[in-house]
Order: sequence, then structure tokens, then C-alpha cells
Amino acid sequence: MISIIDYGLGNLGSIKNMIEHIEEEVQIISDISLIKHASKFILPGVGAFDTAMKKIHKIDGLYETLNEQIVLKKKPLLGVCLGMQLLMDISEEGKEKGFGWITGKVKKFPKNKFLKVPHMGWNTVSFDKESSLTRGLDRKARFYFVHSYYVKPKDKKKSILSTSYSFNFVSAIQEENIFGVQFHPEKSHSFGMKILKNFSDF
Amino acid sequence: MLRSRLIPCLLLKNKSLVKTIRFDKFEYVGDPCNTVKIFNELEIDEVIIFDIDASKNKKSPNFDLIKNLANECFMPLSYGGGIDSIDHAKKLFDLGIEKISLNTSAIYQPNLVDQLAKVYGSQAIIGCIDIKKNMLGVKKVWSHAGGVNTKKNPIEWALELEDRGVGEIFLTSVDNEGTWKGLDLDMINEISNSVYIPLIAHGGAGRFSHVKDAIYKSGASAVALGNMVVYQKQNMGILINFPDKEKINELKFFNG
Amino acid sequence: MSENKKICSKCIYDENIPNISFSSNGICNYCDQIEFLKTKFGTGERKGKELLNILINNIKKEGKHKKYDCVVGVSGGTDSSYLLMKAKEWGLSPLAVHYDNTWNSAIASMNIEKITRSLNVDLYTHVVNNVEVDDIKLAFLKSGVPEFDADTDIAFVQVLREAAAKYNIKYILEGHSFMTEGISPIGSNYLDGGYVHDVHKKFGSIKSKTFPNMTFFQFMKWVLFYRQKFIRPLWYIDYSKENAIKVLKKNTGWQYYGGHHLENRASSFSHTIWLPRYGIDFRYLSLAAQVRQKSLDQNQAIKIFNSKIKIDKKLVQYVKKRLHLSDVEYLKIMNGEKRTWKEFKTYKKLFEYLKPLFYILTRLERVPISFYLKYCFKIKE
Repeated sequence: MISIIDYGLGNLGSIKNMIEHIEEEVQIISDISLIKHASKFILPGVGAFDTAMKKIHKIDGLYETLNEQIVLKKKPLLGVCLGMQLLMDISEEGKEKGFGWITGKVKKFPKNKFLKVPHMGWNTVSFDKESSLTRGLDRKARFYFVHSYYVKPKDKKKSILSTSYSFNFVSAIQEENIFGVQFHPEKSHSFGMKILKNFSDF
Repeated sequence: MLRSRLIPCLLLKNKSLVKTIRFDKFEYVGDPCNTVKIFNELEIDEVIIFDIDASKNKKSPNFDLIKNLANECFMPLSYGGGIDSIDHAKKLFDLGIEKISLNTSAIYQPNLVDQLAKVYGSQAIIGCIDIKKNMLGVKKVWSHAGGVNTKKNPIEWALELEDRGVGEIFLTSVDNEGTWKGLDLDMINEISNSVYIPLIAHGGAGRFSHVKDAIYKSGASAVALGNMVVYQKQNMGILINFPDKEKINELKFFNG
Repeated sequence: MSENKKICSKCIYDENIPNISFSSNGICNYCDQIEFLKTKFGTGERKGKELLNILINNIKKEGKHKKYDCVVGVSGGTDSSYLLMKAKEWGLSPLAVHYDNTWNSAIASMNIEKITRSLNVDLYTHVVNNVEVDDIKLAFLKSGVPEFDADTDIAFVQVLREAAAKYNIKYILEGHSFMTEGISPIGSNYLDGGYVHDVHKKFGSIKSKTFPNMTFFQFMKWVLFYRQKFIRPLWYIDYSKENAIKVLKKNTGWQYYGGHHLENRASSFSHTIWLPRYGIDFRYLSLAAQVRQKSLDQNQAIKIFNSKIKIDKKLVQYVKKRLHLSDVEYLKIMNGEKRTWKEFKTYKKLFEYLKPLFYILTRLERVPISFYLKYCFKIKE
């Protein structure tokens, strides 16, 4: 059972839709007690870093519970898009602190007339490190990206996939039980389904 | 490598899909749900759908229908037509719509653009601009599905929309729309050179070379297709289709 | 097909098939009918080739100064796609015609695009209004009759004739093959414009303006005044579906969709979910044909036939969504009263009464012989 955390932001319905399509169990939850009993999480997110962290802090006990479930109890978690950025310490986009489960920061894409920001569209990935999240993934896989910021982990070895947009940035990351993908698997057809299926099997 | 996007642009009138020529002469094309489902089965990159009656007739978006469309898509589905409040936007995003497009609302309620961009992020907001020549042959921005001349200059309006926070410009040449004769390359070039945000060019694409011109000669980040995806060929029968994967792979973004 | 029932020695039809009878050597009348057609049309023999050549020459002669000399109905499926390819091979100038019921799958739509493009053939389409067609389909579900896709079947033929009339074309080519599909026995399913109209009238809620129904008036107009000839070229040649699929894939990028009529979501629902409700499993038609052609062993065929049809849950979801049915409403319909065509107004009696006229029209090739055999004879009770 995959539990999508509802803190008020993100493509929850679309993610649920795709997980149901691949015939895995999924639920959307925000209740602390349900989170404590859940076994596997997806942290969605669309929009601004600060808005997201503020919403998370607004829900009584959510921040602490997630820290306990993910860091202490080591339950698997997949951060999607902004959800991946929230895994880091800080972001150039705002003032709030992220969860800090992966050491590093979130940076903005440099703007110029030839490199349009946000990075928006379908892009390919290169495989940096083997991971259960990307097992069996087509080498020519493409995913839908839409973001103006990218993560820069302190330890480059945590990167499982990277993508080229004038320079290479980390498009998927893993720190033991914690995963993050910058792209939207729920909007990436069969490639996204593979990622979610792998996460479901983890 | 980032690929330039090729996006089917569907027009919704009531509960059916239609195709127009210069925003006029409606021809019935088919069922919205089945058509979106076909594009999903073909694993198309992205689809955009406009309710062309909404702003004109002061109607709200048809949320039930949109919900049925959104849950057929495992790719981004963008929607435009009659969005004039934050409440509308929230409802649409909750249904799974990836991006919302503002056209007439942006012109008459420009602050709405700022508000929405702030709450949902620029990447979720498309600034939709319809361009048509006035009586003197000068290109102006029109609202209400090509019904009202706002007298605004297209480049100035595109810059203002960018300033207010839209993440993309969807640019339609009404004069070329539905004509098969090609896109308005000059207009696309001028605007794509003025703004930092991606531009989706729309209106007039009749063959694949038109698409390539818009991207490589005029700097469009994406091209939206109308006639080419709903007709077998010019002057022949209706048939939902999409260019082959080989052709699409030719569209490498020149600065990926 | 159950044990201990009399089964034809040549195909797999058993005594439960409507209007079946067995000769002294255990062969059923349907097999005999097919043998009759085989002889008449010289299927796969030199006679067939010669007959077909005469037809092709007539078509070319008739269409000499016209843009198109024949009309080919296409659905994206194997038979019609292959027929279009052969028509071009034979040197004809076909106009491809498609009736879009708005329930096409991507494969159907793209197959039509691929073959018309690679063969450089123009396409004429009639798309029915989605709101109207959904009302008709819902009416059929509510009525409890088995023919969920009757509207598509009748509209397809009407649109073929309309297209032929528009471009002043006399010859209509259809991709039916009695060898691979058999002749569907009458009794369980029925089709005519009056039937579709009556079911819709009694169980529908909106009037249809764009649905191309073939009323009796329309039908007589076509056969009497338009002199359109219905030709089924696949009746003359050696035709195998397996070979057709191979050739199409290789030459045009065409794709197979997994089963007869499964390229369209409505006919797929009809064949895999709705008809089985009545114990009707159309797989027996193609299975019987394969046994007759000796490309499948009789026991194997019966085994396949007795295996359950796989239900696509997502197809059910789609049907509910299109027809705005809640889970409860859908269940109610699936468990609802079953009716037959005999409880509705149809043209059947009229066709029987006009049997002599239709015999002549068959000889003149204004109506297909299969029509005559199926509609003009009284059904044995």
C-alpha cells in the first residue's frame, strides 16, 4: 500500500490514478495516526518551496511524525518534483528549511534567452548509479519535467539519474530508503509507470 | 536531450470537439473523452484543450467533463476557457489539470494572473494570446475567441504576461488558423526573442515542415497542432492521428 | 459448445446453434452454405481469379473518367485494411470510407492513417455526434437486447452508400470473408434500421440528427435508384487473416489489436462483455472458420471456445464514464431484463414479403447474397 501524503499541494489525484492503473494499492492520507501506520510514502509537491514547508508545518505533528517514520523507522519515501526538493536542507527559492534528509541545496536554473526557464517538457536521463527505483527502466526513457529549480546534493554519489539541460543536473536521487525524482512519473506514461511500480515493489 | 514539444490542440464546444477556420466555421470532430484517450494511448507528450464557448458566453468550465478527460491522461493535460477566479483554478488543479490557460480573463482581470502565479507557481499558468490583423493589417491582440479587438500590441502584452508571472505563452495566429498554409513565423520570432519563457506556436500548421520552421527558424519551444491531428489530410475526412515517432524525434531542442 | 451434443464434423457448431440442421454425414447446413458459396465464387481457384478480374475490369471501365472508381469501407481492422491494399494492387482508384462512432481505439485510428498514407488513398469520414451516439448506445443497454453495437453496423453500411453516391461511384468493396468469418446464423442477433430506430425511440432520451441510419426508405432508394453494386473481393481469393496481418505489418506499419472487432471500444465491449451475457460468444464464428480451413484442430477450437473471455476492467470503466452510469446503475443494467429483437418493430416481415424482389436484386448484385439468405427467409421456430 502506497500512501500519498496530503499536505495541501500537489498532483495527488494524478499520482493515485497512475498507481491504480498499474494495479497497486494506494491511499491519500493526511491524518497523523494513519501516517504512523502506513508502510510506504509518496511526498508530492507542485509550486513554491516555502508554501509547501509552511503547509507542512501547519499540520500539527506532521513534520515530526514524518521525521520519525522516515529517519528513525526507515520507511520508504518517494519525493516527486517539489517533493524531491523538500528532501534537501535549503532552497534558493525561499527562506524555509527543508526536511534535510539528504544533504544539499536547491538551486535556480540560470535564465537566458536561449535557455528557457522553467525546464519544461520531455527529457531523457542517464543512469548514474544502479537502484531498485530504476531497475529494468528503458535506457531511452523520457520523462515529463516542469521546474525552475534543481537539487544539488553535497554527495554526488547519491544521484541515480541525471538529465541534461545545458548542464547535467540530478533528476533522481536515493539515500537508503529515501528516493526523489524531479520529473513527474504520473505524467510520463509507461516510463513513469515503471518508476512507480519499482517503488511499489521496493 | 530536451525535445521540442508537439501538442494536439483540441477545441471543445458544448460537449463535443470541433475544428474551426480562423476561429469561424465550426466542423464537428468527435468525442472529447475518446480523443484524449487516443492521444494517451499513443503516448503523446502533452495535450491542450480549450472550451471556445466559455468566455464568449460567460460560462464556467465544465468540471465534470474536464474530470473525465484528466483521468484518461498519463501525460500533462492543460485547459483553457472561462477561467476567471482562483476558485476555478483550484478546482481544475484538484482534478489533475497540469496547467491552466488564461486568455480573456488575463486581459480584463490582469491581477488574477499575478495571484494565480503566486499561489500555484508560474509553471502552472499559460498566457494565451490570440493575434489577428485589424482593418489596417496591423496585428493586434483579440479577446473573446477573436471577437473583440483589445487594441493591445502583441509583444507588449506578451512581456506584461511574463512579468505578471505566466510560465509559458500560447500564441495563436487567428488569420492562419485552420488554413493549412503555415504558422506566422514573423510573429513567433518577434515574441520568442522578447520573452525568456517558452512559447507554444499555434495556428496554420499544415505539414511537418511548418512545424520545423516554427521551431528552428522562429524559436518556438513547442508547436500546437489542430488540423493536422484531426484530419486525414487537407480537404479529406476527419481522422484522429499524430505524426510518427520517427518524425517527432527529429525535433531535438537546439540547446538541450 | 458442450459435451454430448451433436457437433458438426467439419466445424464446431453444435445443435444449439439457431436454425442448424445436420446432413446424413454429420455436416451442418452452415458448412454446406459455405461450400455453396465457395463453388459459386470459385474461392481461391482459377474460376475465382477470373471472376474477380472481370469485376476489376468492370470497375475500371465504369470509373474511367472519375477521380475514384470504387469505395472501400475501412475500420482499421485486418480485413478492410488488407482489402484496401489489394484494391491498389489491382490497379483500382479506391476512396477509403470510414464511419467513426467516436469509440475508436488509437490502433484503429492510426491504422487507418497509416494504410491510407502509405497507399496514397483519400479518406472520407462520417463522424456521428458523440452525445447522440451515446444516447443510442445507452438505449440499447437499457432495452436489454443483445445488439449493443447495432447502430455502428447499420451506420457503417449507410455511410458507404452515401460516400459512393456523393462521388458518383458504383462499386462498393467490403472486406467480409465468409471463409474466415463464416455466415453468422440468424436468430440470436438481428440488424436493420427499423430495429435501431425503435429501440432508440423506446429507450433513448434525445432525437438524433447526425446518426446515419439506413431506414427502409434509404435502403430501397439505394438499391433501386443508385444501382450501387456490393462486391466482396475476399470471397474470390485465398484469404488468410494470419497472412494478411503479416503483410500489412511489413508494408505499412499497421498494427494488430488482439482480436476480431477489438479495435473499436464499443464492439469490444459488445463482444467481450455484453454478448456473453446472452451466452453469445462470437469467437465461435472465427474458430469454426479456422476448423473448416483446417488451420485449427476441432478439439483445440472447442477448448479455446470453452475458455472464458478475458474482461478488460478498464473498458468497463470507460463505458460507465461515457454513458454516465454509476456503479449501481451499471450493475442494474448488467442484471436487467433480457429482450430480443422480436419484441421491437423491425423490417423483417417486410423483407420476407419482398423475397422475390430481393432475389432479383441479388442476381443484379444490388444487394449482397448474404443479405438475401439472412433476411428473406422465415425463421424456423
